[in-house]
Amino acid sequence: MSGVVSPRGSAVPAPAVAPAARVPRFLAAAALAAAAGFAVPLVVSSQLALTLMTQAVIYAILAISIGFLIRQNGLTSFGHAAFFGMAAYLLALNGKFGAISAELVVLAAVALPAVLAFLVGLVIVRLPALSFSMLTLAGAQSLHELMLRWRELANGDDGMPVRLPSTLFGVDIDVFQSPSSMFVVCWVALVGVVALLTLLAGSHFGVLTVAIRENEERARYVGYRTVVPRALVFALSGAIGGLAGVLFALYNGFVTPGALHWSLSGEGLIMAVIGGTHTIWGPALGAVIFFIVKNAAGDLTEHWPAIIGTTLIVVTVLVPQGISGLVARFTARAAAGKP
Amino acid sequence: MAGIPAVGKGRGHGTMVQIVNGLVYGSFLYVLAVGLVLIFGLRRVTNFAHGSFFMLGAYVSYAAAAHLGFWTGMVVSVAVLALLGVLLDRFVFRPLAGEEPIVSLLVTFGLLFVLEDAVRTIWGKDFISVAAPEALAGSVTMFGSQFPVYRLFVIAVAVVVALALALWLRSTRVGLYVRASSVDPVTTGMQGVDTDRLSALVVAIGTGLAGLSGTIAGPLMALSPSMGAYIIIDCFIVVVTGGLTSFAGAFVAALVIGQFHNLGLVYVPEIASVIPLLIMGAVLGLRPQGLAGQGR
Repeated sequence: MSGVVSPRGSAVPAPAVAPAARVPRFLAAAALAAAAGFAVPLVVSSQLALTLMTQAVIYAILAISIGFLIRQNGLTSFGHAAFFGMAAYLLALNGKFGAISAELVVLAAVALPAVLAFLVGLVIVRLPALSFSMLTLAGAQSLHELMLRWRELANGDDGMPVRLPSTLFGVDIDVFQSPSSMFVVCWVALVGVVALLTLLAGSHFGVLTVAIRENEERARYVGYRTVVPRALVFALSGAIGGLAGVLFALYNGFVTPGALHWSLSGEGLIMAVIGGTHTIWGPALGAVIFFIVKNAAGDLTEHWPAIIGTTLIVVTVLVPQGISGLVARFTARAAAGKP
Repeated sequence: MAGIPAVGKGRGHGTMVQIVNGLVYGSFLYVLAVGLVLIFGLRRVTNFAHGSFFMLGAYVSYAAAAHLGFWTGMVVSVAVLALLGVLLDRFVFRPLAGEEPIVSLLVTFGLLFVLEDAVRTIWGKDFISVAAPEALAGSVTMFGSQFPVYRLFVIAVAVVVALALALWLRSTRVGLYVRASSVDPVTTGMQGVDTDRLSALVVAIGTGLAGLSGTIAGPLMALSPSMGAYIIIDCFIVVVTGGLTSFAGAFVAALVIGQFHNLGLVYVPEIASVIPLLIMGAVLGLRPQGLAGQGR
């Protein structure tokens, strides 16, 4: 079987560098997918459904950031809520203290997680994967404690409103807070993220990071520096987690320490695991399934954590490659003409 | 919130008393963290639910103590958690031993969700405070202020655990195997050591220590379902800073991190939770393998 063995032990086809000719066609497809989002509010009239779908898309972006880190670095983050919550709190804190313009803080809320992840990454991507995972959980929880305890800053457990000006980037603020328009904004962001990461995964950088994931020592012997590319992947993953947090804060207009809690990191991770990190888009599929199940759980949501935990265990053991991995295997088999 | 493990909240206490308080917290952290070091040494995985086991241990001893008293409660808690450890080894670590470590991590992380939900359902999410046992309820005068005897007892527990572990690891055959395996599990296996048979015992000791630390945490901090997620911050940081497989490293890291975290809680309580991170960053920046970890 051609292909490299992924950290989860399943065979993953070696990513091919996309020929330049395929890029325009890919971008056209992405634009088409983005445009399709505009049709959704015309078809779906239920505000409740649109609200759920908007949330699902925001969490899909978070899940993709976690999945991308697993795919390119072989590292599993148990603390991505740190980036999500950090970005959301940045918007809220700026609304309270009014330091910079709302446009700038939106950009900063994506940039800060990236810079922080890069600097932290320089230290922790060198550690064993297990230590990396432990420290992401510990780091995110300590941020959670910080926001919980520093009441003068962030109002503790009660959370704080996200005060925004009446327009953002020249767009009326209502656009970001009504489900029918916010769905489109989030959808376009999701498509943009998937397109960007897919192109990146096929680029030299993407192939290099997979090579480092497979065998860091060998990549070093060939002459590549290995720590910086891995830290860059972590930074990009952090930025995307931050983007999800920005969308969340704009849409909800309120932030609590729950945005930094380990259970949010865990939910993002389980979406990635259900969807499978074999593909860039797998975690987004996982997020959609997650929200459908959560909605269907109804009265059982009182014990939602137990349901999540059990699902995580079952999926990890029985379907380690996730649903996108199953799909990919199925289509590969169909393409090969085997039964 | 999961109670601050400290201790002297007022700044009125002298610095010396605060340093002893830091020693109390560090000792407690060691008892909790060393359980993970044991498990990692043999299985090369970690138990992400260790904090939940600790929390469960606290609740089990609280429930048992209501009928049987503190000391029997402690025994019950250690026994229940050790039994859980045997089950964890038998049904998670052993079947998944051939998989990548991340599979075990994800499964134990799933347990974390389940256990927190279970404890919330059984005991509710309100804080529960636990009194120190009568024999240790008093206080002594130290550096000119009153100091609870119970906190000195916590230090004593850590000393006993450290000595017992050292004795066990250095002077018994099983201890030799455990030490060998924590240095190089493959070679140890090739020498004929059956790590599967050892690991039920070792994992049981590791989770039993979570039960023990949960019990001694009762009178130190308030019980709540979120206490496990709170304590896991320092616990994981101690294990990684100490070098993952090193008992001595974990001991030093626990005392240093416990000390500074406690001082932080007294003097800069708002930002105290990031102090362990900063210490760890400094250590790992200089020594990526941790205080006492092996090189690559």
